[in-house]
Amino acid sequence: MGYEVSLQGVSAKLPPMTKESQKIQMNSHKTQPFIQLQNLSRSHLQGGYPQPVLAGLNGEIQHGESVALLGRSGCGKSTLLNLIGGIDQPDGGRIIIDGVAITELDEHARTLFRRRHIGFVYQLFNLVPTLTVEENLLLPLELNGWPLNRGRERARELLQAVNLLDKVASFPDQLSGGEQQRVAVARALVHQPDLVLADEPTGSLDAESGEQVLALLEQLVAVEQRTLLMVTHSQAVAERADRILTLADGQLDSR
Amino acid sequence: MKPILWLASLRHLKRHPLQMALSILGIALGVAVVVAVDLANESARRAFDLSMQSITGSATHQIIGGPGGLDESLYADLRRQGVAPVSAPLVSGYLAQGDQTLQLLGVDPFAEQQFRNLISYLPDKSQESALPQLLTQPGALLMTAARAASLGLQVGQAFELTISGQQRQALLAGLYQPPQQQAAAMQDLLLADISTAQELLGRIGRLSRIDLILPADGSSVQSAIEAALPAGARLVPVGSRSSAMQEMTRAFGINLTAMSLLALVVGLFLIYNTLSFSVLQRRELLGNLRVLGATRRDIFTLVLGEGVLIGGIGTLLGLLLGVLLAQELLALVTRTINDLYFVLTVSELSLDPIGMAKGALLGLGGTAVAVLAPASEAAMSPPRAVLNRSRVEGSARRLLLPLGMTGVVCILLALLLLLPGHSLILGFFALFVLILGFSLFTPAVVAMSCRWAAPLFGRLFGTLGRMAIRGVEASLSRTGVAIAALSIAVSATVGMGVMVDSFRSSVQQWLHTTLQADIYIVPLAPSGTSSETVLDPALITAIEQLPGISEVSQGRPVKLQSATAITRLLAIRMTQKSYAGIELLEGDPETVWPRFDREQVVLISEPYAYRHNLRLGDQIQLETDRGRRTFQVAGVYRDYSSDQGMISMRLSLYRQLWDDESIYSIGLYLQPGVDTATIAGEVAALAAGKQALRIRSTRALLEASLETFDHTFAITRVLRLLVIGVAFIGILSALMALQLERARELAVLRATGLTPGQLWGLVTAQTGFMGLISGLLALPLGLLLATLLIHVINRRAFGWSMDLIVPGGVLLDALLLAVAAALLAGLYPAWRMAQTPPARALREE
Repeated sequence: MGYEVSLQGVSAKLPPMTKESQKIQMNSHKTQPFIQLQNLSRSHLQGGYPQPVLAGLNGEIQHGESVALLGRSGCGKSTLLNLIGGIDQPDGGRIIIDGVAITELDEHARTLFRRRHIGFVYQLFNLVPTLTVEENLLLPLELNGWPLNRGRERARELLQAVNLLDKVASFPDQLSGGEQQRVAVARALVHQPDLVLADEPTGSLDAESGEQVLALLEQLVAVEQRTLLMVTHSQAVAERADRILTLADGQLDSR
Repeated sequence: MKPILWLASLRHLKRHPLQMALSILGIALGVAVVVAVDLANESARRAFDLSMQSITGSATHQIIGGPGGLDESLYADLRRQGVAPVSAPLVSGYLAQGDQTLQLLGVDPFAEQQFRNLISYLPDKSQESALPQLLTQPGALLMTAARAASLGLQVGQAFELTISGQQRQALLAGLYQPPQQQAAAMQDLLLADISTAQELLGRIGRLSRIDLILPADGSSVQSAIEAALPAGARLVPVGSRSSAMQEMTRAFGINLTAMSLLALVVGLFLIYNTLSFSVLQRRELLGNLRVLGATRRDIFTLVLGEGVLIGGIGTLLGLLLGVLLAQELLALVTRTINDLYFVLTVSELSLDPIGMAKGALLGLGGTAVAVLAPASEAAMSPPRAVLNRSRVEGSARRLLLPLGMTGVVCILLALLLLLPGHSLILGFFALFVLILGFSLFTPAVVAMSCRWAAPLFGRLFGTLGRMAIRGVEASLSRTGVAIAALSIAVSATVGMGVMVDSFRSSVQQWLHTTLQADIYIVPLAPSGTSSETVLDPALITAIEQLPGISEVSQGRPVKLQSATAITRLLAIRMTQKSYAGIELLEGDPETVWPRFDREQVVLISEPYAYRHNLRLGDQIQLETDRGRRTFQVAGVYRDYSSDQGMISMRLSLYRQLWDDESIYSIGLYLQPGVDTATIAGEVAALAAGKQALRIRSTRALLEASLETFDHTFAITRVLRLLVIGVAFIGILSALMALQLERARELAVLRATGLTPGQLWGLVTAQTGFMGLISGLLALPLGLLLATLLIHVINRRAFGWSMDLIVPGGVLLDALLLAVAAALLAGLYPAWRMAQTPPARALREE
């Protein structure tokens, strides 16, 4: 059973932006695809030799679309996710997100872009162990220059939405796996990113917890009108997305 | 900086209290040693300044004479001629009261008011009674209330003083109270009328000096005074004596400072180690923060901030510890100054703000430098790569060659720096560059050793043994630094140990050669006062007439003061056997000794030749009581008694040129078959009731001299121990962190079936191997350091040459120290991992 999401008025509150983030504003060309992957290639060194993982990959994702990325282990799903998230750079090709060619930004600008426009959910939660649940949510807000009182208000709304308001002062190691992942989902959305990237978000959870997290992620993305790209190896999880992309032999296949 | 990032960082530190405490302690100890040495040096300097100031008062110039001082008629002549209207005569000397060394100052209460106005320190009510007593009562003295209380004396009480080993009757005429700022400097100062002081010190008709106040532009006055001075008397500015004495202890101070810096360098290794570990430990977290949008600058500031916080707390604690440690070091520094240079009483520690600020700056600045590398490492890694630990080790491995090459360049640079010049500071700089070079070279050596040792350990201990060694290589970014830090600390102990042992052996050998007489006799007097102490001439005559004595040598050590320097001169009456006791480094004995006995020549000691760049055949000018005289250097001899160097002259020549018939020491050469103890007993009987003597056989004198040597090096030993202490904490912290970092790996092994005992063995093998490598690396570096300390630093600081003697014990001790420190460091992690259920360790990760 999923959680009911109630975020009345939340989306109406526009997040403030730092001056640095404003410099890398997206163009919001709603007529163009939200994400464009153009001739993307990336290799990894194996045994000292480069092994191509992505070879001239092309693809598009539309605004507000929920997309699942399927593929066998080692096919490059996470690599693609990292490239789109700007935490890795391709060997060749371009990635354009809402009109911004992030592959052409320098490292600092990519960081600022990521900070403002992208939220991440990982398989292993990756919460900051030395921060409380609420502080984990405040962190992206603070990095984006939200005032503390507004940030706290926003964090509490999200925590209420994921039904963890009673855990605001808990540290991650005091929570169950499912609870930690719900916090991670809330953290990924708290600064109202345009794109949420999730890498096997249910991979470390039991079936029931996985279902709860998934439902929450779907609902929050829907309510906040975000674009979701989720890496999974589960056909069942993938089926719940608007569209499934399959990665094989370095190329994307859409259905 | 973002507050929440700070919060995360602070909580991380709080969750690793042991790790943080050890780094803070390491920095604190490093800073404490630097601050303590600085405060102790500064306190000694300040005590010296205050003591000089309280004695010289407002004087601008002084008239000084030779070792025998000035004839008191000179003062009257100058006054009568009107060339020195503002002047005051003064007699000073040292005496003993029980264990206390006190300085006696004889003044003219009427003339000296413009200089020191010491009489005004008497309370008003006692001035009326004390002053007449001071002028009329034989032996009447004033002393501070504190000193009187410590000696248990009351006003009006008669008491005994020992001067040159002879008992003198004195009377406490009153108590004076110096102003607060001079109280410490004057607490051991006894005041008397000048004639009383002359009587007590046995210097009837003589003055130690005449103080003058000359106008600022007083060149014509100075010329007039100089014209009126007899041969042997000189007019010098008041600061010259003070700076000449300060100069004597300069090299000693630099040596102590350099050793204290060594402790700080080891402490900085510790900070580097802790923070690079802290970065590795949180590589996932830092990667995560970068993914969330923290910029490189945010991460850099975060790690730098942590370093500065640890460094700040460590520095603060170090300053406090430094003050405590300085109290202890001060006693050692003062004793060394008294043994080697001059009489100095330092009763209180001077909390010099500059010394404290220097310590704080070194602690914080050093921390900032040490933290730059880990902070840059964390900040420069791309977000995804920060999540990957192997990247850090990968880049560490890539750096091996360039680091090793830089190390070799540093070592060569250090050796090049040592080639030219006499600069002691450059010598120490080269020493530190050498240490830096060696530490940069260490990781490459560790990597090579691991490759060589892994198969060997595999054969000896199976897979676990191989694993232990590979673990060292796999974490090279940390193990390399830990091994370098331990190596440096251990090599410092080897270097210092070999240097002190070589020095001691050389001194011992020199004493064996030099001490040719059977019995040596000097007056019983406080340390550092030999030039002011004399043997009773009647007693000398009586001793010389004792049956069984074949020959008697005589010695008179004096300090000659010029406007720029203080020169030690030893006037000596040699015997036939004495010649063999002097090892000539330059000059042929066949020609040197006949010239020494007949011509106007001198011998100079090795340090004197080094300091003044003099060689055989060069000329020296000395101010004598007959005016300036030139002497040719007839030979250079080995001597370890003074690092300032010494000039030796035959006694008869000295007496021709200076009005001084005193003798300080005599050496008795006994006829064959005469018992040393019997003669010593007879000398003691002769001296009984006349003069307290120190009568020692050659063997006893040798032992006493070596004891003094050991006293002198007590501070070196203490600093050496402190360096080891800092290093031990460093290695403990580094290895402990390294093993705790492997908690998950070890938990997996435990889950696989490794018993706690096997786990213990694994950790012990790894830390033991690291200790062994450190110890082995420390030996060549330690020997290199010893060579430099002996042939460069010692030579430049003190002018002594000596042979390098390597005792096997020092090397073995070093190896054991390294292995023991490393094994101890592995105890806690091994115990903790053995106690922790594997499941919990896995979950915690």
